[in-house]
Amino acid sequence: MNRLKYIFCLIILGSVLIALNAAVSIDFFKPEPYQLTYPNYFGNRYLIPNDNPTTVEGVSLGRMLFYEKALSAGNKISCGSCHRQELAFTDGKDFSQGANGTPQPRNTMALVNLLWTRNLFWDGRAKLLEVQVKEPLSNIHEMNQPIATSIRKLEALGIYSEKFGRAFGDTKITEDRIAKALAQFERTLISADSKYDRYLQGKYQPTASEVNGIALFYGRPNAQGNIRSAACSHCHGGPQTYSELYMNNGLDSVYKDPGREAITGQDYDKGRFRTVTLRNIALTAPYMHDARFKTLEEVVDHYSDHLVKSKYLSPFLQNLSGGTANNQMNLTINEKKDLIAFLHMLTDSTFIQDRRFSDPFEKGSNYKKVNFN
Amino acid sequence: MKKIGTLLAALLLTTSIYAQQAFKLKVSGEVGTPLELSLQDLTKLPRKNAALTDRDGKVHQYTGVPVYAILQKAGVTLGGELRGANLSKYLLVKCADGYEVLLSLAEIDNGFTDREVILADTIEQQPLEATKGPLRLIVPGEKKPARSCFQVIEMVVGYGKE
Ligand code: HEC
Ligand code: HEC
Repeated sequence: MNRLKYIFCLIILGSVLIALNAAVSIDFFKPEPYQLTYPNYFGNRYLIPNDNPTTVEGVSLGRMLFYEKALSAGNKISCGSCHRQELAFTDGKDFSQGANGTPQPRNTMALVNLLWTRNLFWDGRAKLLEVQVKEPLSNIHEMNQPIATSIRKLEALGIYSEKFGRAFGDTKITEDRIAKALAQFERTLISADSKYDRYLQGKYQPTASEVNGIALFYGRPNAQGNIRSAACSHCHGGPQTYSELYMNNGLDSVYKDPGREAITGQDYDKGRFRTVTLRNIALTAPYMHDARFKTLEEVVDHYSDHLVKSKYLSPFLQNLSGGTANNQMNLTINEKKDLIAFLHMLTDSTFIQDRRFSDPFEKGSNYKKVNFN
Repeated sequence: MKKIGTLLAALLLTTSIYAQQAFKLKVSGEVGTPLELSLQDLTKLPRKNAALTDRDGKVHQYTGVPVYAILQKAGVTLGGELRGANLSKYLLVKCADGYEVLLSLAEIDNGFTDREVILADTIEQQPLEATKGPLRLIVPGEKKPARSCFQVIEMVVGYGKE
């Protein structure tokens, strides 16, 4: 008799445990579509996978995960530690330190207008945000934590189950869903309210120096060299100041970091990196994949006077200024100033203060610390 | 510490050497047989010349394989088959640096046009320079050389879906 009772108790206990663990589905699961707004001149060539539409609930969860330190070994860093909003989601360091204290091999990238970015990282090795986010989560130089541990910690925090339920229909926490929510949040990081945008929309009258900077940036040099141009837009593209190109912009002739070559295995890709966006560039120093330039002045000096010739240098940075003796652009001091004035027009103070992108755990939140161990 | 440095450097060096791969031109999408052609394979196809006014303002003579011949080898609907719904097909040409240009199939079909769009491997009988080769698309007869893109790595045939 006693034994039967014992077994009975075990069964009850078991089913309670199962019930506790099982995903609870959310009644009336109907996530609200998130409105992504941007100017027409950004174009519509972006990719949102069919199985991960951008929703208000998903973005809200993604924002929490972006700032969630429990996703790192030691609970000290989140995505937001290296990607800080006030610096257009960079951190001002040459090489950010990951959870294990070691520096990253490359400079931290700005997170801006990722909705349109189809090849992610400096070498374009990830094709989709949903794929990209899995790398920092477990990479030893970054958050350095197995995904199973991350899931266990999120479950222990208690605040997440309902959020996953609202975003995905039931409260189960999986790697896929973490990636999807983060990707949804990343897609909302749209910067389109800089001085330059206001100028394009006819709401801002640029200074003479800015006007000349725009002309230098977007102008195309002609064969005779009688159009003064810095040829920037050939690579950095239209109003987004971003185009999906891998280029060798003459930093070196011997390559410590092979860049794109490591992905394709082709010699001609040596020292090629993605032409990154220049949106908010004044906020995202230091510059280049290896953080070699500390100021925009140094960057412009590089393009104007110090391009390193090699058989890998982009043809679009060769034979500039109609074949002057040194084959460099040789911008004048004033031209350099104007070009930099234009680069400053790309700073978007609305973007870096937008509450929708900020840390939801900052003061005023009811987030409680949990001891995971 | 120094040892670790040398080790890392050695590792980087070896990986970049091991990673080196032979060049292959891919042909994919709405094709009968997807292809991966080596430069050697391309020598077995016919060769044609095409003239192009380059960015330097001068006319240069390029030689290479007609795009038509490559697409035919891949079983693309050209010639007699290029009619009806097939006229809404395009050819997207992808380059190593990520640049892409688009042509409609009719633009490269001998039944529609006399101009010879080729994948060139030589300029004035010399190999192309490293940043433009091994294969450059030559679209003759245009005011700008912008569609004559460098370092072609892939050709994708597709349907305009709008
Ligand atoms: C330790 C610092 C660090 C942390 C933590 C970190 N990142 Fe990054 N992030 C980087 C660096 C460095 C790069 C560039 C890496 C490369 O190209 O190899 C990068 C690149 C990216 C990119 C590519 C941007 C582009 O334009 O291609 C995205 C997106 C991104 N990170 C999102 C995230 C997300 C989401 C998280 C959290 C899950 C995260 N990062 C955590 C340092 C960090
Ligand atoms: C041939 C293509 C090309 C041209 C032309 C070009 N760039 Fe770049 N630019 C690149 C590439 C590629 C990178 C990334 C290189 C790297 O990190 O190794 C880059 C990086 C930069 C960066 C640093 C971005 C960052 O987040 O660190 C700035 C600033 C910049 N370019 C400004 C300019 C300006 C100004 C001009 C015109 C004078 C210009 N570029 C012309 C290809 C180009």
